[in-house]
Amino acid sequence: MIIRKILFVFSLLALIVASFSINAEPFKAGGALGTQTIDGYNALGPQVEQPIEFPHYIHAKIMKINCMYCHTYARRSAVSGIPRLDKCIGCHKMIPEVRDRPRIKKLFWYWDNHLSIPWKKVHDLPDFVRFNHERHIQRFYFQDKRPVREVCGYCHGDVANMTTARRVKAISMGWCIDCHKKDHQISAVNLKTTNGPHDCWMCHK
Amino acid sequence: MATEKKMGVDRRDFLKVLGISGAAATLAGCGNTSIESGAEKVQAYVQPEDFVVPGNSVFYASTCTQCPSHCGVMGRVREGRVLKLEGNPNSTISKGKICGLGQASVQIQYNPDRLTTPMVRNGDSLVPATWDQAMTVIKQGLGKDSVISGEEIVFLTGTTSGHQKVLINNFLNNFNSNNHIAYDALSNHVGETVRENVYGYSNPVQKIKDAKLIISFGNDFLGSGLSPVYMATQYAHFRKAPRGTLVQIEPRMTLTGGNADRWYPIRPGTEGIFALGLANALVQHPEYDKAIPDEVKQALQAYDKRTVGEITGINPDAITHLVGMMWERTPTLILSGATAEGQKQGYQNAYAIELLNVILGNVGKTITAPTENPFPQMNPTNATYQALVNLNEQLSAKKVKACLIMGVNPIYTEPTFVGIAKNLKQVPLKVAMVTQLDETAELCDVVLPLLSPVEDFGTYVAEYQPEGVEIGIQQPLMEKLHPHTKSFGDVLLTLLKERDPKNYSHYPDYYSYIREAVIKSKPVFKSSMTDDDFWDSTLMNGVLHIPVKESEIKEVKINIADLPKAEKAPADVNYPFYFVPSIKADLRDGRHANLPWLQESPDPMTTVVWDSWVEINPKTAEEMQIREGDVLEVQSSMGSVTAQAYLFPGIQPNTVSIPFGQGHTSYGRYATNRGVNPFKLINPITDEKTGELALFATKVQIKKTGDNKKIVKDEGPTTLQQGRKLVVTMAADKAELSKEV
Repeated sequence: MIIRKILFVFSLLALIVASFSINAEPFKAGGALGTQTIDGYNALGPQVEQPIEFPHYIHAKIMKINCMYCHTYARRSAVSGIPRLDKCIGCHKMIPEVRDRPRIKKLFWYWDNHLSIPWKKVHDLPDFVRFNHERHIQRFYFQDKRPVREVCGYCHGDVANMTTARRVKAISMGWCIDCHKKDHQISAVNLKTTNGPHDCWMCHK
Repeated sequence: MATEKKMGVDRRDFLKVLGISGAAATLAGCGNTSIESGAEKVQAYVQPEDFVVPGNSVFYASTCTQCPSHCGVMGRVREGRVLKLEGNPNSTISKGKICGLGQASVQIQYNPDRLTTPMVRNGDSLVPATWDQAMTVIKQGLGKDSVISGEEIVFLTGTTSGHQKVLINNFLNNFNSNNHIAYDALSNHVGETVRENVYGYSNPVQKIKDAKLIISFGNDFLGSGLSPVYMATQYAHFRKAPRGTLVQIEPRMTLTGGNADRWYPIRPGTEGIFALGLANALVQHPEYDKAIPDEVKQALQAYDKRTVGEITGINPDAITHLVGMMWERTPTLILSGATAEGQKQGYQNAYAIELLNVILGNVGKTITAPTENPFPQMNPTNATYQALVNLNEQLSAKKVKACLIMGVNPIYTEPTFVGIAKNLKQVPLKVAMVTQLDETAELCDVVLPLLSPVEDFGTYVAEYQPEGVEIGIQQPLMEKLHPHTKSFGDVLLTLLKERDPKNYSHYPDYYSYIREAVIKSKPVFKSSMTDDDFWDSTLMNGVLHIPVKESEIKEVKINIADLPKAEKAPADVNYPFYFVPSIKADLRDGRHANLPWLQESPDPMTTVVWDSWVEINPKTAEEMQIREGDVLEVQSSMGSVTAQAYLFPGIQPNTVSIPFGQGHTSYGRYATNRGVNPFKLINPITDEKTGELALFATKVQIKKTGDNKKIVKDEGPTTLQQGRKLVVTMAADKAELSKEV
């Protein structure tokens, strides 16, 4: 009888493990290099269809615009925010040669109707995680003087080579901790190294 | 049989299913499977102000409308949503502080049961309608061709002030009427009338901070009083060295009573007699000999210690002790409160209590005259119970053709003997303006959805003005959440524009009405700013403040006829218990029962949540063999309710109490069918002098129903140390110190 019970418990455990492996996304080495997650999740997110197929590669790669020119809140706030619509219009009013392109027409349609563009969120953390953009940008861009595409790319991947953004990093807790464990140079002049904080309350308030 | 076998699930199958779905459910909530791409929208502003940074909060000043103390508040706004309220440091009333009631006002805004479209009566039920449809119904009765006038129209509200009140009066004047009826179930009209008659001011400034000894007769100034946030800061100063002493005398312990140094339980309704007992003992002392006329002194002789002790149930030695304290610690302050005033002899009780202030020479020291408001038309209406009786008389005479109701729920708060529901039904046009459907709105023909307090403009003047006069400015903290809700002011302006286009058509909305009124008041504030700057700075500060103008209480009148008689109330065999319902600082008269934060916050004295309960003294409970959680039937001559017993040492042995606020039959998911409504037990006893309802004079009997249910409360077992030996004490002679160390 006891053996039956033990067998029953084991079969139940096996079931749980099996269902775990069924439900977890299988790992696909689809992300950029170095995005392998230590907790076994797929780094590559789904392709999200956006209301306007915004070409990051034209802005960041061809035009060489700094990420923070548009995502201006990243260095000032916990969230980087989507650029305000009048920011897009401010530049595009001055570029009449692309006004007839379908994407720009769409952009001006929103502007003329005074409507906000219903972008879909690509990097959406659970509500119990408080990620702070400002701290990361201040630390690595302003203090360490690392290139902006590299700093943003730690979490967002090489967006400059994408059209609309797609998640390429796991952004799981293990993945965050992995980076927080690494030795980071304190600043461009101070070559000593530190780790990121490991306190639970840093992110889970 | 075969089907049965097929349908049957044995334990193993059941667990298998549970195992898989359970594991799947666990997985859905952990790991990065909860990182979603493309599931939520993230939208930017089209053209925001330059200072707007997503993720960073902006603070806007406004005024709290949860109770008539109208504290100045600051709303924390992020991404266009108000998240939290704080006190406004510019406000002389709140001084940057806020209470739980104020905090919960954001839940009016986000309440899932908010009324989002107008409702119009169709037969027996209310059906959603458009604003055009609703206004058409209203305009049929109150449009430009309406001949309704005088007493045919009634505007029923709670306490209103500021431009809301001005607009209501203008609206009624347009119908040649002044039938603005202000009803408050928990009105403090008795005390106000007494103070008006004694000092000439209904709400003189009571300087708690300056007193060394406060004797409060049931005045819950820290909980459900007139201005609890202001009083709490004053009380904090009062408690700083040299520490003031607070004595509370009341039948059932309030939050203030819980904070007192001494708490005397008193037989309900005899507070005035105890006050006169103190007065009699005081005037024996040569220092207080000349304070009152000889005839009053003569009359006081009837209140000797022994008689007073017998009537009030307080040990006569307490009088000696308190008189000693009064003599030692000056200045003193004597306060009368709800339980002393809400009695058959309520006026006399309050009168006797104020007499103590006169004898002790507190007038001019701890009781001073308030500053006069240069805009008397904005002063708050004096909401009373008598107003409801008047309304009922008007309704039963069947003269009323239109009744507009805002900010008050008489169907819920009326005692059973008033019977306003039946009379109200006969009114041809009943319009309720609410944020959420309640018992009264359910009876109406048209229900209009109003903006929540954090979406609307307005001006408010508090009843209690301790430091100068403060006019609270209310402004929207965010855009309106539901597109089909409207400001109360806009509804009235729409109707006024139709009837009086000459005077009102130039106001596009309520905002412009208030803006113009505030700018017109500029000379009073001696401001040299431009109109626009003055308006902007007013919005930014959240308050307009008129500084303290010292004036004196000129004359104190004492009338010997207004003192309570030293008579013992006859015992009632059928209804042996006094019924003293408690006023909770959060739910008040039940208007806030729809806010889950307040339902969830434990009652400060008993820690019970989400329910009603009957407080009974442990000694009485022992005699009647009542245990905690026993379901009791509390019966008065007006009706009966059942609720669980809670054994509470802070209550007189012959008194029971049920808190006000619960027992709604319609007020959204959080309030409906929760607890019981003690208003329905109140006997038809009124204060003899003012006609106000004696809320605390009902007598009841209690019966055990035989059921017992667990009380939902935060408190652990009532035995000491939570039923566990947390701290073990031992008599010193029993301890063997060599082993203990």
